[in-house]
Amino acid sequence: MTGLLALAAASALAAPPRAPTAASAPEAATGAVPALPSAPVSLSARKVYEQARSQLVQIRTVLKGRASQTSVGSGFFVTDQGHIVTNFHVVSEAALKPERHDLVYVTADGREAPLQILQLDVLHDLALLRAGDAAGRSFDALPFRPANEPLSQGERIYSLGNPLDVGFAVTQGTYNGLVKRSFYPQIFFGGALSAGMSGGPALDEEGHVVGVNVARRVDGEQVSFLVPAEFAIALLARGKDAAPLIGPAYAIVDEQLLKHQAALTDRFIAQGWKDATHPRYHVPVPPDVFMRCWGTSTLSQTGGLDFERSDCVMDTRIFVGDFNTGTIALRHESYDGSKLGPLRFASRYSASFRNEAFSRLSSQHQTKPRCNEDFIDRDGLALRAVVCMRAYKKLPQLYDVAVLVATLDQSESGVQGRFDAQGVTFANAQRLAHHYLDAFRWVKPQP
Amino acid sequence: MGQAAALAVLDAPLALVEAIDRDGLVRQAWRVERWPVSIGRALDNTVVLSDPHVAAHHASVDLVHDDDSGAATISVAAGETRNGVVVGREHLGAGATKRIADDGRDLELYIGRVVLRLRLPGHALVPEQAMTPVVAAEKRWLPTLALGVAVLALVLANTWIDSDPEGLSRSLGAMFLTTIAGGAIWCGLWSLLSKTFTRQSHFGWHVRVFVTASLVTLVLAVLPPLLAFAFSWPWVTDFSFIAVYATVAAAIYFHLLAVEPGRERLMRGVAATGFVVGVALSLWFNVQRTGRPGEELYMNHLFVPQLRVAKPKPVDDFIQGLAPMQAILDRKAKEQSGGDSDAGADGNDDE
Repeated sequence: MTGLLALAAASALAAPPRAPTAASAPEAATGAVPALPSAPVSLSARKVYEQARSQLVQIRTVLKGRASQTSVGSGFFVTDQGHIVTNFHVVSEAALKPERHDLVYVTADGREAPLQILQLDVLHDLALLRAGDAAGRSFDALPFRPANEPLSQGERIYSLGNPLDVGFAVTQGTYNGLVKRSFYPQIFFGGALSAGMSGGPALDEEGHVVGVNVARRVDGEQVSFLVPAEFAIALLARGKDAAPLIGPAYAIVDEQLLKHQAALTDRFIAQGWKDATHPRYHVPVPPDVFMRCWGTSTLSQTGGLDFERSDCVMDTRIFVGDFNTGTIALRHESYDGSKLGPLRFASRYSASFRNEAFSRLSSQHQTKPRCNEDFIDRDGLALRAVVCMRAYKKLPQLYDVAVLVATLDQSESGVQGRFDAQGVTFANAQRLAHHYLDAFRWVKPQP
Repeated sequence: MGQAAALAVLDAPLALVEAIDRDGLVRQAWRVERWPVSIGRALDNTVVLSDPHVAAHHASVDLVHDDDSGAATISVAAGETRNGVVVGREHLGAGATKRIADDGRDLELYIGRVVLRLRLPGHALVPEQAMTPVVAAEKRWLPTLALGVAVLALVLANTWIDSDPEGLSRSLGAMFLTTIAGGAIWCGLWSLLSKTFTRQSHFGWHVRVFVTASLVTLVLAVLPPLLAFAFSWPWVTDFSFIAVYATVAAAIYFHLLAVEPGRERLMRGVAATGFVVGVALSLWFNVQRTGRPGEELYMNHLFVPQLRVAKPKPVDDFIQGLAPMQAILDRKAKEQSGGDSDAGADGNDDE
């Protein structure tokens, strides 16, 4: 059930800090050092950094009463009253477990002060904070690039932050438009981002904010992602005057995930299915709008079972502290056992139906799965269907749902499918399961 | 009068003293030609024992007839002994004497580590018993052979189903040898136990028990899944492990019959207790692991489509049938979150 290896996940950039001695070898391979020799820092990069230096902060999550940091990220001032924008994942520990974590910021000249969380945008991975020492102080703020001046592909942008707690840095790269098939818009940044730069600003040549550093692909080189500035502007407008959060922010996370799953379910159902996915059956495969499908074909070397497999996943997933949620995945396997005969085929087909896991998250986060199962009829095509669900313990009204399907009309071949939706309401889980099961049928009615 | 009757039986001894093994068989017997009978390690005793826990002149037994009533009284006297004599439940120290009215039943004496039984001519005999099934089965090899062939055939059929066409002969050969060797080791170990406790190996019986239990287990591996699939009864395979446990418990009971032949009730108790404890532990473990007593999260046995009997449902009905899950999941999410988050907090504090 693991995804294809070629699809290594985008990694969030707020990894815990490493000891200075350990930083040299492993980080050098992924960090900015080998990425830059061909492009020496230009005059404008120096200018951009000098302009932005005083607006840039490092954000540290500190264990209460222990003075040791559990994670570091970056952030930047967006108003002269001390509002700071960063990623939600930079402050998630402090937002979800405030009883055990404190949040502080450190400026480039070493000044340290506490932080308050005003508002979160979990879906776009943003957080609005305010300096705890804002009273009677005025801050330099970074301006946003106006929405009516879109960037064009190849334009130079500069990403700022504090990679791996080494020191404030500027890396340059290019704007490559929006990421294809992302559920929420994200900027494809052709430059190097490292852990610790999360939440830092990405600036154009005039020093205006175009996005917020958020993630990179660990399986590629200089394939990084930014949250477009428009969402930071909206968050600022929404939360500017909000009172600081008190207590764990699960209610806010839950409310935003409820909105997300409503949008996701509607868009998923509205987009329909691809045609011609199997010669005998209509097998549900989603179009490549916000999902991506990979296929493999396996021929048995020992005269056994041949099968083809298709995996469809979303690149977008919503980070919620200890885990991710909010995605849909589909898979099907098409089996041909004509070399085996009915008895041997049934044994393998059954083993494959058995070999399914429902233990993505630990029991700290979710209930144990409950399942419902039966034979169902799709215009004469008999299927075995199993629907298993788990409820989130800290996110009321949200469930993970998995649907297993096996066709049961041929004795030497068949198709098995699995549909997974994470973080949906019970009603939407039912709608999605219905939508998925309805998609199975014969291409041509059988006698 | 009693004496006269005893004398009338030609060549019959006055009594018989038997040394009994722990399996109830007689190890040695002494004919009593005159009273009293002396017991000890010295050579001048009637019953000479070699157990070092027995004194030179450990005890003597006498039979006294009351002249008026003719009733017999057995008198047991302990000699110069450190360990004494146990008669019934009573312990006699050195020099003590006990008189017991003869009630027509054999008398048991514990002398050192030896169990002696005193039999008198007038004592009632236990009627002849029928041959136990253990011994009877030894003689009949044909049913065992037939069952064994059936087991092998099923094992090889399973192997055929589970292996791809290439490499089949190798798998068959390996499985054939494994089954034969496994069965031989299992039955051999039980025979060893039987031999230790009963001095007979009862190999034929153990083989019979083994092949029968194997056959039942093999059938249980197919029949419940088939029922669960055909009729869409997930509970059948959810709890079919209970039938397997029952088979194993029964097999152990029948094996034990040939180890402790005289203690059927005890062995039945052992097997039944093992079965109940095993089932209870499994149910408890399942509840801990999955929150449900059954073994399987969902019925995952698919057979050839022609064996399906249950009628498929419309998708609408199936989806509506999911509704009751919501209340269960919501309840579980609430009841567990308190305890689990506390546990998580403790874990983090330790770091």
